[in-house]
Amino acid sequence: MKLFTRYNRINLFATVAVFLLSGISFYFLLRFVLIDQVDEDLKIEQHEIETYESKYHQLPEIIQVRDQHTSYAAVNNDGGRRSFSTVKLKNEDERKKELFRRLIFYINTKGQWYEVEVSKSLEGTDDMTKSIVTITFITILLILIISFIVNRIVLRKLWQPFYDTLASMRRFELGKAKELHFPSTTIEEFTVMNDTLRHAMTKAGEDYQFLKEFTENASHELQTPLAIIRSKLDVLIQDEHLSEAQSKNVQGAYDAIQRLSRLNQGLLLLTKIENGQFTDTVSINLSQKIVEKILQFEEMIAVKNINLSTTMDQTVHIQMNAALADIILNNLFSNAIKYNQPGGKINVIVNKTQLEISNSANADALDESRLFRRFAKSGQVQEGIGLGLAIIRQAAAYSGFQTNYAFKDQLHHFILIENNHS
Amino acid sequence: MKVLIIEDETELSNSICTYLNSESFVCETAYSFSMAMEKISLYDYTCIILDITLPGGSGLDILKELKASNKTDGVLIISARNSVDDKIFGLKTGADDYLAKPFHLPELGARVDAIIRRKVFGGKNDISIGELVLNIPDKTASVKGKPLDLTRMEYNLLLYFTGNKNRVISKGAMAEHLWGDDMDIAGNYDFLYTHIKNLRKKLLQAGCPDYIKSVYGLGYKFSV
Repeated sequence: MKLFTRYNRINLFATVAVFLLSGISFYFLLRFVLIDQVDEDLKIEQHEIETYESKYHQLPEIIQVRDQHTSYAAVNNDGGRRSFSTVKLKNEDERKKELFRRLIFYINTKGQWYEVEVSKSLEGTDDMTKSIVTITFITILLILIISFIVNRIVLRKLWQPFYDTLASMRRFELGKAKELHFPSTTIEEFTVMNDTLRHAMTKAGEDYQFLKEFTENASHELQTPLAIIRSKLDVLIQDEHLSEAQSKNVQGAYDAIQRLSRLNQGLLLLTKIENGQFTDTVSINLSQKIVEKILQFEEMIAVKNINLSTTMDQTVHIQMNAALADIILNNLFSNAIKYNQPGGKINVIVNKTQLEISNSANADALDESRLFRRFAKSGQVQEGIGLGLAIIRQAAAYSGFQTNYAFKDQLHHFILIENNHS
Repeated sequence: MKVLIIEDETELSNSICTYLNSESFVCETAYSFSMAMEKISLYDYTCIILDITLPGGSGLDILKELKASNKTDGVLIISARNSVDDKIFGLKTGADDYLAKPFHLPELGARVDAIIRRKVFGGKNDISIGELVLNIPDKTASVKGKPLDLTRMEYNLLLYFTGNKNRVISKGAMAEHLWGDDMDIAGNYDFLYTHIKNLRKKLLQAGCPDYIKSVYGLGYKFSV
């Protein structure tokens, strides 16, 4: 829910409630005051009749007045205190019934008790109440319309710096050299928010930069000791007196160095991709490139007796960095071969929207949520260094491709989709 | 023939020196920028192995100095910075080759051998070892005048052996030389065994002595 909508809703409820409450109270108050007024008039009538009786010892003659009725009725004894009541009576000249305020009191003239009834029409009061209700509702409506317009225009304008900042934050990417541009504003809250955000982002950017530099430097620094160890082994094996057992140990050390070296290169590569060091792109004929790769991996495919089939659209050209394309395909093919079973199969599909490489494997579906993470090993094959898929995903993402995994028909499918096609 | 190793890591420098030393080679070492500048001004070397990051200066400045004084020394850059830009820059400045750390010494041996071959035997296109003759431009080999029918891989392997003769070469170094760095075939040397087996068979069939010896499953040695 938008802040506006929320605010409007609360505002609307509050306004309507206040107006309804005040309308109702006003209605009752006014009604009370008006009826009180009518009652006063009725008391004056009573007083006049009583004054007349004490002066002339008889009841005054009834003069019919509009909106007022008076009547006498002889009764046996005193009916008690006077009483007011609101009743519906038929008006003389009109057919329909109207509300009247009625006063009943008792008077004794010449030893005879009379019940006197004086009624006054409440029509005028009723009209007034109706207009009050109408005015209340018109006011509510007006206020609602005005507050809606105010919210639309003024609030939007007031919040504009907030939305600008939000848009700026959305465009922001950690590690990209782009500066954060917050609009200048005189509103203190927004200035504070912008300053806080700028500070946090700058700090995050610095930390990120530091981390990247650290990774890159650490990887570079590792190269030299690795080179020394490897060179020592290369020299060591020149010794003609090396025993067979010693040779086995040396081979173990060689393999470990090889892995360490690959690991280091993988980390360096990831850092380089993150640092955006593969900027220049060329148009690559994908199927042609894949044919080259297949040739390069031919031997390994043959040794494992893997059945390779390709379905390729020859006209597909992609725009990307040549080195990255090479890295992605190398890793895809290496994986498809390495994690394959002898006599298994590899299918390559290239079309306008995607590149798909699938391979058979004895294992079940892999956990996609962890698959593309660094060092997320499947636990069954020891050979990998755990960076291949992370490199594929990162290199692909950098080049505008999305990497997906699926497990279908006992095959692992790795699918690259160009972002604007998805 | 003299080779100068400009590398501040003495242990690495020593290894390179030990590995390259042979009857036909003399290795000298320089551990700093100033030491290197002094040596190149005093002597001529057939090949200089040059590290880029040195105490006291950049290896690239040494390279520029060499080119400025019209020295014909072959230069092989060894650097921990394995980036395409560094490589291109080094080669543009006049280096003959570029090798990223951590490298295999046999790879370095083969590269140095190739540089020396170009520098010393500039006009000569054949390598002759024992009964074997390799024609570099044609990428062919022959035994006693009879051409060998070698695949591209087998020829590369043979050339690599000749650049490292009388030395034990590890399987890993050979695999990386033949298939490059990109292909992750760690721990699987089946392809290598197949190629060596085939090469050996072809050499023997052509009447060439068995120069290639297996060393305890660690690697191979090509000795004449």
